[in-house]
Parts: sequence; C-alpha cells; structure tokens
Amino acid sequence: MANTNTGEIMLKMTDIHKAYDDLEVLKGIDIEVRRGEVLAIIGPSGSGKSTLLRCINKLETIDKGSIAIKDKFLVQTKDSEAVYASGKAEREILSSTGMVFQQFNLFPHMTVLENLLEAPMQVKGLKRSEVEPYARELLAKVGLSDRADYYPSQLSGGQQQRVAIARALCMKPDIMLFDEPTSALDPELTGEVLKTMRELAAEHMTMVVVTHEMAFAREAASQVIFMADGNIVEQGEPEAFFAAPKEERTKAFLQNML
Amino acid sequence: MEKLFDIFLLMLDGTQITLEIFFVTLLLSLPLGMMAALGRLSSLKIISRIVEFYIWIMRGTPLMLQLLFVYFALPMIGIRLPDIAAALLAFTLNYAAYFAEIFRAGIQAVPKGQYEAAKTLGMSYPQTMRRIILPQVIRIVLPPVSNETINLVKDTSLVYILAMNDLLRVARTIVQREFDMTPFLFAAIFYLAMTFVLTWGFKKLEAHYGKY
Ligand SMILES: Nc1ncnc2c1ncn2[C@@H]1O[C@H](COP(=O)(O)OP(=O)(O)OP(=O)(O)O)[C@@H](O)[C@H]1O
Ligand SMILES: [Mg+2]
Repeated sequence: MANTNTGEIMLKMTDIHKAYDDLEVLKGIDIEVRRGEVLAIIGPSGSGKSTLLRCINKLETIDKGSIAIKDKFLVQTKDSEAVYASGKAEREILSSTGMVFQQFNLFPHMTVLENLLEAPMQVKGLKRSEVEPYARELLAKVGLSDRADYYPSQLSGGQQQRVAIARALCMKPDIMLFDEPTSALDPELTGEVLKTMRELAAEHMTMVVVTHEMAFAREAASQVIFMADGNIVEQGEPEAFFAAPKEERTKAFLQNML
Repeated sequence: MEKLFDIFLLMLDGTQITLEIFFVTLLLSLPLGMMAALGRLSSLKIISRIVEFYIWIMRGTPLMLQLLFVYFALPMIGIRLPDIAAALLAFTLNYAAYFAEIFRAGIQAVPKGQYEAAKTLGMSYPQTMRRIILPQVIRIVLPPVSNETINLVKDTSLVYILAMNDLLRVARTIVQREFDMTPFLFAAIFYLAMTFVLTWGFKKLEAHYGKY
C-alpha cells in the first residue's frame, strides 16, 4: 500500500521474530509509522498484537529483526543475534515512547496529580513547580481537573484510563502506545476514553493502537493492520481496508466484529 | 503497699530482659526477613532453594526446640554464646523466617502491571521498588506483621527455659517464694499494656499507609 504521508519516520520495525519457547508468536513483522500517524492493529485473540506492541518499548524482547525509533536503533540483528542498545542510549530511545495499558496500571497509593508528577520528578529530576502546571494542563485536557487530589480507587474506569493517558503524556513522549485501552471498561465508559484518544490524534500525536473498536480504527486511524497467527495478513488505509478487504481472513474477521 | 512496690521493682528487671529480646529481635528479623524474601524470589535457583530450606526448618520446628538447640547443642560443637545472644539468635532466625513469608506474599501481591507501568515511564529498578512497589507491599503486610509482632511479645516468655530472668520467670520466682499471686497479675498487665501499645501503633500505621 502506497503511503502518502511523507513525514519523518517515527517507528520502523523490520522482520520482527519472537517466540515463547516453542511457540512462535511473531513471524516476521514489518511496520513503519510516520510522524502524526495513527496505526491501528486489529486481529483475533492470540494473534500477537500485544506482544508486538510490547516489543516497541522493550517490555518484551525480540529474537530477530530490528526496531528503530526516530532513526535510532533500539535493537538490531547482527550475525543472527538481536543486539539491544544499552545504558543511556537505550533510556533515551525508550523515553520517546509512552504506554497505556488495558488495566490502567495507575499507582494506587498516589493521587491523580502525584501519578502524573512521579516520573517527571523521579526520572527527569524536575522540580514539582516545573511539572505541576503541565500536569494540571493535561488533567484539564482529559477533563479531570477537579479530580487531581483523588486516589485512583475513587475514580471510574474511564476516568482512571484518562488519568493513565495523561500520566504517559506528562513525560512528553513522541509515540503513544495503547494496548486495548477500552477493553476493561463498561461499554458506557469507552466513549470518553476514545474521545480523548481522538483528540490526541487530531493534535498529530503519533500513536500505535491495538484495539477491538472498529469504529475508532475506521475514523481515527491513518493505517490499519490486520494480524493473525503472528503475521500481518492485510494492511491499508482505513477507507479501503474496511470498505473492501482483500483477504478472506480479514473479511471473516470483520464480519464477526459487526 | 511497700511490699507491692518491692515486687514491682524486682519485676522491672525482668521487664528489661523481655523488652530487650522483643526490640532486638524485631530490629534484626525485619530486615533479615526482607532479605530472605528477596532471596526466596530470586531468579537464581540455588539462592531460592537455600532460603526455602531455611524457612522450612524454622517454621517446621518449635521455637522452643530452636532455643534449646542454640543454647545447649551449639556449645557441644564448640560455639559458646552468652545467654542473651543465644536467645536473640534463635528468636531472630525464627521470626525472620515468618517475616520472609509475609514479605514474599506481599511482594507477589503487587500486580505485574505496576512494574510495567513504572518501566514504561522510564523509572529504574531501584526507583520502582522504593517509590512504587514497597509502599504497596507495606500496606499489604502490615496486618500480618502486626500479628507476628504481638506473638513475639508473648513468645519472649519462652526464654524462661534458658534460665534467663525475663518478666515471667521473675514473676514465678516471687510467687513461689512469697505465696502471693500479685506478680502474675503484674506480668499480665505488662503483656497486655505492651500489646495495647503495639495494636494502637499498628492501627496508626495502617491508617497512614491505607488512606488510598
Ligand atoms: N509471557 C508469555 N509466555 C508465553 N506465551 C505467551 C506470553 N505472552 C503471550 N503469549 C502467547 O503469545 C500469543 C500471542 O499473545 P498476545 O497477547 O500477543 O495476543 P493478542 O493478539 O494481544 O491477543 P488478545 O486479543 O487476546 O489480547 C498467545 O498465544 C499467547 O498465549
Ligand atoms: Mg492483547
């Protein structure tokens, strides 16, 4: 599929292979995401979507292939061995990614505001006064200004997930990774989270989103990838992809989703 | 009245031994228990196995037997410890094993997602442990640690078999000599007072760490 976006390449994954013991989970995946693009990854359960996403920020390591973020190699394969960047280089590369999890994973012992301040203060060594205005701005953006001093347990799932998005953004990442951010939510709460994500996309945040929300993929994504059994089965721009899928497996999957 | 005061003074000495065993054991066994918990969770199989064995021995045999072993058996192989040190050694090793299991369960109760969230935010392992994991572990382990600590207050009385003049032994000596039951009453009041203070202290701690 011709890619009309000519922006800077933010993420390039080449020939990614990954196995858990004998189970091959990723069988040679290639992905390219440019600045401001939203890549939606869809596919049946167990197809390797989460694994692929988690390889981008090294929550999982790959066996073979290469991953480059903004032209810097996180991992490269030399002599059939995957070699990772280390130390400061690794930290720098990884710091350009932020992640939002299905289960939110907020820090339960910290208030909403503290959740946002924690990493900028601990990791970047910033003073509270240097981060707090931005943190509050982000809370306003996700519509939770009035919840700054609440604990996560006092919030609804949708509110928690919006805090999690703000927390990731507070580190000023260049790429946001989402792993089924609405799957743990009651149906009536998915809307507010998707709305926040749409707004991010509209601001040209580069995003990789694993999702079961076909409507979101259709409207907000610039590229859609359909994965099955560790392979990319089909890939395209959402219009064409959803209107006229080419592969039988894609058709069957989409039929099931509707 | 004067006699009561004499008894009270005599018992103060015993109280001192009891308090010493209690506080030193607590001070030593908590960090040792934490280390053992980390060892138990180590990815190095032998470390984990050795710690597992140690915990099994300590929890699988009576504390009384362990005290007697340290006190009577070690000297036979040439290790002669002062009385109080022998008692402290046995108490510390025993309580560290119980604390180790409490801490291990506490650490394992923190979801994996917490480590992952911290990692994706760029936090280092020590930062993650100190700022994210430990505060949650403390909240989880406070109730069982409180339990064990109160058990320790009462277990200190086991040293009477080592002929150490702790509170209970002093009380018994006076009772036998004077045919007067008041020392037992004093002892009971002392144990109750200590338990009361500890319960209150742990309640405060639980409130502090449990406000979320
Ligand atoms: N830590 C692990 N150890 C062993 N196997 C794993 C592990 N994580 C995932 N797998 C396996 O890898 C395969 C891909 O899992 P993955 O979580 O990437 O799928 P997914 O596409 O995200 O599925 P879902 O839609 O259910 O989230 C599955 O067969 C899964 O059982
Ligand atoms: Mg998944």
